[in-house]
This record gives sequence, structure tokens and C-alpha cells, in this order.
Amino acid sequence: MLSAFFVLAETTGDVADAGKAIALALGIGLGALGAGIGIGNIFGSMIQAVARQPELRGELQGIQWLGFALTEAVVFYGLIGGLLAYVLI
Amino acid sequence: MKTRVLGLATLLFFALPALAIAADEASTEEDFNPADEWDLHAWIPIHIGPLDMSINKAVAYLMLGALVACVIGIVLMRVKVGRDPTRRQAVGETIYEVAQVQIAEQGLPTKAIARWFPYCTTLLLFIWTVNMLGFIPLPLSDEKWHGIPTFALFAATSTLSVTLALALMTWVFTHVEGIRENGLWPYLKSWIPDVPKGLYPLIIPLEILGQFMRLISLSVRLYANMLAGHMLILTFIGLIFLVTPWIAPFSVALATVFYLFEVVIVVSIQAYIFAALSAIYIGSAIEPEH
Repeated sequence: MLSAFFVLAETTGDVADAGKAIALALGIGLGALGAGIGIGNIFGSMIQAVARQPELRGELQGIQWLGFALTEAVVFYGLIGGLLAYVLI
Repeated sequence: MKTRVLGLATLLFFALPALAIAADEASTEEDFNPADEWDLHAWIPIHIGPLDMSINKAVAYLMLGALVACVIGIVLMRVKVGRDPTRRQAVGETIYEVAQVQIAEQGLPTKAIARWFPYCTTLLLFIWTVNMLGFIPLPLSDEKWHGIPTFALFAATSTLSVTLALALMTWVFTHVEGIRENGLWPYLKSWIPDVPKGLYPLIIPLEILGQFMRLISLSVRLYANMLAGHMLILTFIGLIFLVTPWIAPFSVALATVFYLFEVVIVVSIQAYIFAALSAIYIGSAIEPEH
């Protein structure tokens, strides 16, 4: 199975480009996986917190967006790393 | 609702032909590549020694952003305060309240609010304006169509040097303020958390590295968010020219969805985050926890 893949890549030529493209996609994909779990956690906890104490919504919202942006940024670290690998190496 | 739809239609009416022309020109000469938007050509070359201070697209966007931010500040904040507020005053007060309650009071200690509130609010307004200008098609692109610059989407904050300069400002202010309030040695000591002395050789390099990581994370967060947003929109529009024109309804719909997501959520959130984190960093340097 694997050897078939290598033969395919060899026949089309650009093995290095294929590897770089796979690395870029994997970097973004794995980064998005972790951040997706994290963002889900944040909003889930926020819903629970507001359901228990609706009067705290205003105070919690600031923290929620802060946490959201901090977590979301993880995807983009993956993206930048992937782009660096794609462009530089 | 009707006006919103109309506004969106006008926006797309302006945006799409520009992208089409830009992509069309690119495809006749070479392959369409969304990353070409970030090749900055010098419009007015200025070289001072080894420094390249040429005015290019990003600089033009920054100048425009500064101007618009000033106008927004004057129009919204310098109003005659009345008993029954006009809409202008209401919007101005909302922005002020977000800056005061959500950013300054959450991050800064009480004694430092008077000094650092203006800086954080300026960051909020300026970054929001520059981000927002990035999603309004403006005739400031490098591509020419019969001598007229084509309309294009570009944000100054999607270049690393701009966000790094902003982050560097916060970073320098953090340490200057920390040293001034606490003295050099107590401030440096406050970096080290409460751990057994045996762990010091491990912890101290990590904490020093952490201070520099703040700089990187603060700048890369804003940069990568804006870059990814623009790249997504450009790529989906570019699919029309790369794959087949029949993909247009699908890719334009997706590009519009991403456009709305960026404009409604990301632009404001990133400006808020940058200002809030600046306030938190400066506040934690003024009053270390231990």
C-alpha cells in the first residue's frame, strides 16, 4: 500500500512538494483538532456557568472571549509553522 | 435588514470585479496565487542608511487607519454630553465603557488606570480601525487597470512587521513600568514563581523565555488571524479561476460566509484581545502577585 503511494509520487515527480503540502495540511489539521476541543470546552463551560448564575453573564463574557481568542490562536500557530515549512524549506 | 442586504450587495458589487480583474490579469501572466497580495512593492522609495522606510501598500493602510481612528475618536467622543443622549453619544459611551470596564479595570491595578487607560483604548480603537479597513475594498492595490489601482482587500495588520511593532511597544512599556514601580531587582525576582531552590536552573531560563514568548504570541496572534482570514477569502474567490467558472456560486457563498464571520467576530475580538492582554501584561508588571 505504502510502496504504491511512493511509486505514484515518483511517477509524477514532485516528491518534495507533495511532502510539503502534506506537512502543511497536517500542521493545520492537528492544530485545529486541539483548538476545536478547547473552544468547545470554553463555550460549554460558559453555557453551564450562565445557566447556573445568569446574573454573572456580563462579567463572564469578557473572560470567555479572552479564552476563545487565546485558544483559537493555536490553530494559527500551526498555520504559520506550516507556511514556514512550505515556503522556507 | 433591507439596508443591510443592500449594503452587502453593494460591497460585493465593488469587491468581486476587482478580484476578478486582479485574478484575470494574474492568470494571463502567471498562475493565480493569493500570496501575491502580500508582495509589497515600494511606491515611494525612502532609504535612510540600511533602513528601508519606503512607503508601500501596508504603510498607506496604516496612515489611513491612523487618520480614520482619529476621526472616529473625535466624532464619537468630542460630543456635547446631553441628558438624553444622541446616537453618537451612545456609541461613544459604549466604546468607552468596554475600554473602561472590560479592559482597563480587568487588567490594570486601580492606581495605574489613569496612566495606562489611554494607551489601551488607543490600541483598541486603532487596531479595530485597521482591521476593519482590511475588509473594505479600497483602491489601494498594487495592480493597475488602465492606470487606476484596482479595488482590493488588504489589512496592514496582516503583515508581521506591523503587529510586531505594536507588540514591541506593549512589551517595552511592560518592563519599563515594572522596573519603575518595583525597582530593577525586585521586578526581575517577581518573575520567578514559588518553587524549591533546586528547580531554579530549570525554571529561570523558562521564565525568561516566557517573557519573549509573550512578544511572539501577542504579535503572531493578530497577524495570523488577519492573514488567514484574507487568505481564505482570496482562495475561495480564486477557485473560480483555478478550477472552473462553474464553481462560482459555491465559492462566492463560502467566501461571503467567511467574510461575514471575519467582519462581525474576528475584527472586534482581535482588537479587544490585543488591548486586554496589553492591559493585563502591564498590570501584572506593576503589581506582581508575590
